[in-house]
Amino acid sequence: MSEPVTVVIVDDHTIFRSGLKADLDERVRVVGEAGTVEEAVEAIERLRPQVVLLDVHLPGGLGGGGREVLTRSTTLTPQVRFLALSVSDAAEDVVSVIRAGARGYVTKTASGPEITDAVLRVAEGDAVFSPRLAGFVLDAFGTAAVADDELDRLSARELEVMRLIARGYSYKEVAKELFISVKTVETHVSAVLRKLQLTNRHELSRWAADRRIW
Amino acid sequence: MDTLEIRPPLVRGEDRFVAGVCSGLARHLGVRVDVVRWVMVLASLLGGAGIVFYAWLWIMVPTAAEAARRGGRRPASPIAPAVSRPQAPRTTAEPASPAQVRRARRLAGHAREMLLGAVLLLGALVLGSRLIGFEIPLGVIVPVAAILGGAALAWMQLDDSRREQLVRGAGAGRWNGGLRLGAGLALVVAGVALAVSGSQWNVLGLALIASLAVLAGVALVLLPWGLKFWRDLGAERAARVREEERAEIAAHLHDSVLQTLALIQRRAGNEADVIRLARAQERELREWLYRDARKGEGTFTDRLKAFAAEVEDAHGQPVDVVCVGDAPLDGDQRERPEALLQAAREAMVNAARHGGGPVSVYAEAGAQAIDVFVKDRGPGFDLDEVPADRLGVRESIVGRMRRHGGEATIVSSAGGTEVRLHLPGAGTEET
Repeated sequence: MSEPVTVVIVDDHTIFRSGLKADLDERVRVVGEAGTVEEAVEAIERLRPQVVLLDVHLPGGLGGGGREVLTRSTTLTPQVRFLALSVSDAAEDVVSVIRAGARGYVTKTASGPEITDAVLRVAEGDAVFSPRLAGFVLDAFGTAAVADDELDRLSARELEVMRLIARGYSYKEVAKELFISVKTVETHVSAVLRKLQLTNRHELSRWAADRRIW
Repeated sequence: MDTLEIRPPLVRGEDRFVAGVCSGLARHLGVRVDVVRWVMVLASLLGGAGIVFYAWLWIMVPTAAEAARRGGRRPASPIAPAVSRPQAPRTTAEPASPAQVRRARRLAGHAREMLLGAVLLLGALVLGSRLIGFEIPLGVIVPVAAILGGAALAWMQLDDSRREQLVRGAGAGRWNGGLRLGAGLALVVAGVALAVSGSQWNVLGLALIASLAVLAGVALVLLPWGLKFWRDLGAERAARVREEERAEIAAHLHDSVLQTLALIQRRAGNEADVIRLARAQERELREWLYRDARKGEGTFTDRLKAFAAEVEDAHGQPVDVVCVGDAPLDGDQRERPEALLQAAREAMVNAARHGGGPVSVYAEAGAQAIDVFVKDRGPGFDLDEVPADRLGVRESIVGRMRRHGGEATIVSSAGGTEVRLHLPGAGTEET
């Protein structure tokens, strides 16, 4: 096995931080912790971890929570990857941190091995989609497929992948179901993530405005 | 003070010749009614003083019913509940103690009487000085009296707490604030006095200056108050909204979370119970926090989530529901999505009972079709091996879907089982 992935945990609840630290297995190494926006920005700048486990709701800063940490650390983003972690699965929380640059999203009720897997996947540069996030994406982009691979629509394949993830399939199961490799699934998911982060599609903004997200 | 309070309040009695003034007065003073009546009649002979006194009391003293109505209305002040709430976040530095508040109320009550007394004294002084020979022109008395009366009236419009706030807000409590207030008032008085009595000079410029002085004075007095008042009004409204929200949240947390926590403490030994309680509470709290206010109750996804919650409670397995789109559940077509819901429910029950591990439910509702997927991670089973007498899968899922023009597919492998329900054109379109 290769070197463990370095991680900084950002969460304002000390108990949760220590619990999470104990739950993560030896494939990751926690190099630092932070409890506020300022501490997080400082720790990320200083420690340059591979992955930051970032709580969506954080005190400090301008009140922007996890999103503010992301926007203030943009210069580091290619090297440091962010995995959002939240007790909330509300659309505005999830989608706003993804739009701000997080590579994935897991709920705090996920088990230690699940979070470890997600951290490793994010460290590889892939995206981590929970069923719920996939559901939000389908809701936001619409479920009608389009032929060409334009930026503000999902291709038929991407829609299929999103649907399967929303149905609770793991990446491996998705690959098996669609007769493609896991790597291809990851490529599709990353493409969807990029579209979600970059698109300014009219319907998407309206979907977001309805939910008062961006 | 205390003796005053023991006395029955001065109200016009029911037992009356004319207006019940005498009987009321008698009860208030603790004297026999006939005595009062005779005194009144005798007093009337003294230049009609009794009649004037009687008329004055008739006008000023309320009947018992009026007094009761007025007394009952007083507690309905909109400020009262906010003040009486001890946890209310106060923006002022020092919260007034109940004793202070009571003292302030008493002072305010007396202030009215003192004001009246002062006015009467002033009137007596003016009349007295006229008698002595010191002439004060009527042109000064009338405007000054009008201004003072107007100010008093304006102040009486405000209730006690607001008056106190205003005084504090305008800085009238400090010496420079008092100076400003005094200067403003002096300008107003001088201006109006000039305007009224200055006509004898008949100089246009002076009248103009006087008017300007009036306006400047009024602005000087009222501007900071107006601004402050407006700001206070906004702040107060916002605070009240916040307070109401906080109260609602507190009430909800008390009814739900605290009860559940108490239950969990009692059942700490039983792990399954604790998990189920925590899970149910989490779901309920989530529903409350993130509920979509735009959606009405009773849509397709609402019902599906309710069923999932039911299954989760009954079988102690987490059921995660992801919904995309939604469909209304009304009109003549509601029977078909209802059948789909029942089939989905059956699938969830099966998954929770036999699957083991969390159950994933995905629903996609659109105009063309409604799809529901129920997936578990159990050992799986072979549909053909399910005994024919087991109605669960065959009848309530596959059969039900077929009868309503939909279809059900069950895919089972070692990695788990997935029930796929498809209902075309449900709800909105004819098929």
